[in-house]
Amino acid sequence: MINSIIRYSLIFIALILLQLLLFNNIQVSGYINPYVYIMAILILPATLPQWLILIISFLTGFIIDLFSGSLGMHSAATLLAGFVRPYVLTLISPRDGYEQDSDLSMGIYGVRWFFIYASIIVVIHHLALFYLEVFRLTDFFRTMLRVILSSAVSITFIMLIGYYRKGRRRAGSRA
Amino acid sequence: MRNLLNFLLKYNNLILFLILESIAISLLVTRNEYHNTRVVKSVMGISRGMQEKINNGRAYLHLRELNYGLASENARLRESLRKFEAKKPQGFSQVNDTVFRQQYRYTPAEVVNNSVNKQKNYFTLDKGRLQGVGVDMGVTSGNSIAGVIVGCSDNYSVAISVLNIDFRVSARIRSNGYFGSLSWSGRNHRFAVLNEIPQNVSISIGDTIETTGFSAIFPEGLMIGTVSALRKSGSDFYRITVELATDFKKIHYVDIIGNLKKQERSEIEKQFR
Repeated sequence: MINSIIRYSLIFIALILLQLLLFNNIQVSGYINPYVYIMAILILPATLPQWLILIISFLTGFIIDLFSGSLGMHSAATLLAGFVRPYVLTLISPRDGYEQDSDLSMGIYGVRWFFIYASIIVVIHHLALFYLEVFRLTDFFRTMLRVILSSAVSITFIMLIGYYRKGRRRAGSRA
Repeated sequence: MRNLLNFLLKYNNLILFLILESIAISLLVTRNEYHNTRVVKSVMGISRGMQEKINNGRAYLHLRELNYGLASENARLRESLRKFEAKKPQGFSQVNDTVFRQQYRYTPAEVVNNSVNKQKNYFTLDKGRLQGVGVDMGVTSGNSIAGVIVGCSDNYSVAISVLNIDFRVSARIRSNGYFGSLSWSGRNHRFAVLNEIPQNVSISIGDTIETTGFSAIFPEGLMIGTVSALRKSGSDFYRITVELATDFKKIHYVDIIGNLKKQERSEIEKQFR
């Protein structure tokens, strides 16, 4: 238990740093702004109490907000992602249900399942985020395009990180 | 009472969600321009080292363009100096009073944090209140506008960029003097939109757009950009796409413009409002 908390904290810090140092500095165009830190909410164990997930989501968003000077925006979007998470999980639950205390990773539940799960949460998060950013409904479709393109890039990076973790875990169990 | 407790227990997650979400939304909507300043103060301390390293690297990569810009600015200044030198032997004695008619004061500053990919972009400068920077001063890059200061801490200040969908500036066409309101459409970091120019005005592609000096923030006649496309919309006005003279992806050294007569002007204007 303690072990998994420490491991999760490390992943959490790594994801936040990755977002702040790397992805926030990629300024390809206004249309592609990947936000991969949402993966910190994705991989939390399914059996964690919901109130704790909500608090972790809010704090994650708040940290990102502090460093990118957009108070409230990421907090609201990430909190929404944390809120819909259990509903998404019941919607697409695997046949054998979820394992106790293990994080929701690609290695355990399969690539296909993880892809569907990540896509749903990332799109919800990005929808909230980009519409909160402009905070108006003019240019509705252009914002939608930004949501779609950014989500696609975010999901790609999240899948890559997921693959990396899967590979590492396999190497670790063999050793 | 028991019913209430049961209700709270049953919906505790929903209630927690609603409470936190309302905190977040209220932070978002009640934020004035100054929230950025508070953030600058509290977070800059932590991320300053990191920020400056990234910034140094970026500055190094752009040295060639910077050199070119400085050289051309030097040439321009030398040329205007020659104009003054030529005027000297006219028999008038020179008065060495720099404050007499001076209206604008310039302070050079360095951009330490910038973005172009959001809808509401701000940039951070390395000069603050202690260096005499104040809210509502204009920021220019080279000879064209870049933004307006919206908040200062002791050593840093945050400016709203032209690339912010909330930014408005009064702008006019240099050739005929018609003025309108310039704002960013949020699409491309190279282009802004000029509105409120009536369709009977003759405009051609390549016309220069400059500031009007109505706002006391920017001096009159500062470059904004050039007309790159014209469209007649359904109303009586043109929709003019302006290519910005400032490239916000490369912006690094800027000047902060303080208006020495601003207070006087706003006081007299207040009397008639």
